[in-house]
Amino acid sequence: MFIRRLPKFEYHTPSTVREAIAIAGKHNGDAKFIAGGTDLLLAMKKREIMPAHLVSLNGIGELRYLTVLANGKPSEEAGGLKIGALTTLAQLLASDAVKKDYAPLWDAVDVMASAQIRSLATIGGNLCSAVPSADTAPPLLAMDASIEIVNHSGKRTIPLNEFFNGPRQTTLGHKEILTHILIPKMDSSSGGCYLKLMRRNAMDLALVAVAVCLKLDETKKVCKEARIALGAVAPTPIRVPEAEAMLAGKKIDEMQITEAAKIAGMQCHPISDIRATLEYRCSMVEVLTKRAIERTLQRIQA
Amino acid sequence: MSMKKELKVVGKSVERTDARPKVTGKARYAADLVAPGMLYGKLLRSPFAHAKIVSIDTSKAKALPGVLGVITGRDFPGVPFGTRPDTRDTLPMPITKVHHFGEGVAAVAAVDEDTAEEALDLIKVEYEELPVVLTAEDALKPDAPLVNEFMKSNICYTSDFLFGDVEKGFKEADYVREETFSSQRVTVGFVEPHACLAEVDNSGRILLQGSKQSPYITWRHMCRALDIPLSDMRIVNPFVGGAFSGKHDPMDVDFAAVKLAQVTGRPVKIVLNYDEVLAAYRQRNAMNATIRLGLKKDGRISALYAENILEGGPISGIGPFNIYYFGAFLNIPYKIPAIEYHGKLVYGNRAPCGTVRGQEIVLAQFCLDSILHMAGEDLGIDPVDIRRINAVTDNWTCANGIKCDVSGLPECIDKMAAKIGWKESRVNKSVGRGIGFSCASHPSGPRLGGHFGSAVVIKLMEEGKVIVTHGGTEIGQGANTVFCQMAAEELGIPYEDVMQGASDSDTTIFDSGMFGDRCTYWDGNATIAAARDLKKQLAEIIAPELKAMPEEIEFADYRVFVRDNPERGMDFQRAVRRAYYEKGAPLYGRGYWAATDIDLVDWKTGKGNLAHGLDFIATGIELEVDRQTGKVSLLRCVHGDDAGQPINPAMLEGQVNGGSAHMTGHCLWEESLYDEKGRALNYTWRDYKQPTAVDVPEYFVEHVHTYDPYGPFGAKGAGEASSCSTLAAIANGIYDAVGVRIKDLPITPEKILATLNERKRDEQGGSTGFASGGADEAQ
Repeated sequence: MFIRRLPKFEYHTPSTVREAIAIAGKHNGDAKFIAGGTDLLLAMKKREIMPAHLVSLNGIGELRYLTVLANGKPSEEAGGLKIGALTTLAQLLASDAVKKDYAPLWDAVDVMASAQIRSLATIGGNLCSAVPSADTAPPLLAMDASIEIVNHSGKRTIPLNEFFNGPRQTTLGHKEILTHILIPKMDSSSGGCYLKLMRRNAMDLALVAVAVCLKLDETKKVCKEARIALGAVAPTPIRVPEAEAMLAGKKIDEMQITEAAKIAGMQCHPISDIRATLEYRCSMVEVLTKRAIERTLQRIQA
Repeated sequence: MSMKKELKVVGKSVERTDARPKVTGKARYAADLVAPGMLYGKLLRSPFAHAKIVSIDTSKAKALPGVLGVITGRDFPGVPFGTRPDTRDTLPMPITKVHHFGEGVAAVAAVDEDTAEEALDLIKVEYEELPVVLTAEDALKPDAPLVNEFMKSNICYTSDFLFGDVEKGFKEADYVREETFSSQRVTVGFVEPHACLAEVDNSGRILLQGSKQSPYITWRHMCRALDIPLSDMRIVNPFVGGAFSGKHDPMDVDFAAVKLAQVTGRPVKIVLNYDEVLAAYRQRNAMNATIRLGLKKDGRISALYAENILEGGPISGIGPFNIYYFGAFLNIPYKIPAIEYHGKLVYGNRAPCGTVRGQEIVLAQFCLDSILHMAGEDLGIDPVDIRRINAVTDNWTCANGIKCDVSGLPECIDKMAAKIGWKESRVNKSVGRGIGFSCASHPSGPRLGGHFGSAVVIKLMEEGKVIVTHGGTEIGQGANTVFCQMAAEELGIPYEDVMQGASDSDTTIFDSGMFGDRCTYWDGNATIAAARDLKKQLAEIIAPELKAMPEEIEFADYRVFVRDNPERGMDFQRAVRRAYYEKGAPLYGRGYWAATDIDLVDWKTGKGNLAHGLDFIATGIELEVDRQTGKVSLLRCVHGDDAGQPINPAMLEGQVNGGSAHMTGHCLWEESLYDEKGRALNYTWRDYKQPTAVDVPEYFVEHVHTYDPYGPFGAKGAGEASSCSTLAAIANGIYDAVGVRIKDLPITPEKILATLNERKRDEQGGSTGFASGGADEAQ
């Protein structure tokens, strides 16, 4: 009913990913990985979960940095951005590379939480908590990001849109760690943005959030590829392929934007709760999608 | 002494006495206090909003190692307390039933917080659920369950006024409009949650150090409910992190700490988490009001009729005063010759109410200034002009008897309208932008009862500095600083030589507390009286040496001298040493002040002159409405403010702007929500939306200097009028921006959009259903 003191737990401080997985393996389902802890500790104080063991990832330095990938390397051919899962929101906000070349993610981090929380909370934690309103998810989905997952037998890379299963549920196993996020590079005829509707202007959860990424042709008139992702309006962050299809391969005009936005508003399936009604959320998806497409076009064409 | 004396310290924005300790984190609040052998207390809270307590079994909790005490409501004498003799309806902790979600039913003291929390899990309470009363409508149903066991009805208190010839006023009106308004439950919103440290000495005397707004009120109520004489308890205030009317009366926290300290013989500290505060402690009353206003063609108000029901939770608290205040302040800031008011305060099973900054004037003014705007529009009178036409002026006596000596309101309106650029805004008005206005008045401390007064002691130290001790309570508003300024001014010594003493019932606490803009005025006058008393004592000692009569001695510029011969004198410090070292006389200036020349108002009939020093404000807010999301952005806010002579202009602006910023949340975002069983739904700061710094507009204050004949140095109170003028200014601004009139608070984007969409549908249907036309329809 009310927030309580932290329950008792054993705290582990591994320094490598392998070690962390081994500790989690030993405690078989009764251990939780902790990064920034801004979601996890609160859930524990509310007694929503009470793991007997917390395995801190904070000593694993290699997961705390973001790297701009150079072109030309065989494994990272397309270039892009590789973000260690322990990178804090504050680090992302301070990154010129993120601000300039991966703007939708920067837009999202800019409107998340408070300075104090941003200096603790990590991008990996935000994804693994998997709340429907997670701010980093829609921009990453719209940028077609993939994630690297490590377990005792090796690692695998999956598209982010195969990660979320439901509210607070992911495909991540108990003994697996999300280590990196990979965002493909966007060229000069591509761009995107993230728009978040809140009750107030700071320190608030999204009522509705929309991320848009567009790839235009050289004339910057015709849309070659469109990705639209929504937050807080379904059990998980979602893509809206039907709306994307309205734009892809077409010369974008007012009518298409309006139509795509309308479809997004129909494709979302939010709930009514104390924050907003279903009806308001649906109509706001439409409004924000339209604005996000327009802003994206402005950014690319600027 | 000449009135025109040049002010040296008063009127200057000196540094606050508490600025450095607060900014550097060194200020000690209740939660920071420690005492040897201290235990930690926690409260077990009811999961039900209304339920019979069948039994409470504390045996297992008592047996837990580390637990030293467990108490319930039965450990108290069963004596209820209340603001008035006829509203004693509150127990320290419940005995027979719980009245609201989160009510404390038992408390434990243990060696640490973890053990205390563990002990709570071991207490078994058997409840029998009762039907709940949530709204005023529920409360007034003929078969409604009774909320408060000490009362025979859910009607807690009533106020019914009739002043002037209301019937004639409406008959002679050229225009009459009636509207209904409602307002939601909101929390108080101070930063520091309730906290206290209680100790009992070897004689059994209690010392309570808590986060209290009006320690005197807490002290008296607690002694009554503990059934002990006042001398058996001492109450000392540490730094307080805001209160805004949420910390007047004693809470279960205070009672539990005291009782646990008595039971265990050890000091006990209780510090709440904020979710407990949001779920179970003071809120503002929910309101349902109907206002009928009659006006002449020229815009003058001829009569007003109002009905109002407040739902204030399961206890009366200061509610009787709230229901009177709503009606009383419909009489002002506009000239209304005839007024009829019927107010009811009812009990319910939501969290108990006190009030919030600005008290129920906030709600009254929302109704009055909203309907005035509507009326003005229909009569074709500019919204600035209609306020100017009706604004109270000097020497005005309201229909209910409240007397206004000095009103800067007309000038406040003019300065505000010029600064916000009202006339200019009418040319090329941009879509979705609007400006709204509201005025308000607030008294400088009402006289609500016989023992309403303020007391100050100034101790003169032998090196020539002084310590000012008062009971007025510094809760963040700056009271300590203004009293030190006044003492320095009156004694003719530097501000730096005045120190602030602790608020302590053993020294000087006779003070009804901190509310109603009263401290600057009441305690300020008491400070001046104490300083004069000190000067008189010192003058008597020095006069023979200066070959003058004591009455001829003046104090200024750190000197003591003969009025007509300033050369004949000595410096202040030397005079002090004469007293201490030659006479062996330590000096204490003693001062008190109470507005005994005005009326003790009967709250049920409302007639009487309640207070001196009516302060005035005229507020204009420029805002923008996003016509697609319904979201309101507050852009600029200008207050024309008459607080008499400003004592500390920088702090005054902080008070004016803070009071206004506080209410932006009430108007647009905040609401305490409950489910159908009366359980709180959004009792975290994540889900309860108070404004942040980036939600409030840019503020400007236009000071209108007046001189109040009764106020200290001509000052009036400040800090609450701007709360009263903010709701309607925003509501009127939204109307100006998009033509949407919302009368039920909060004004959410959903409500704005619903109206806009309805209008769109009507327009598409070919009808002109939206007749009253928003300003932007004219584009």
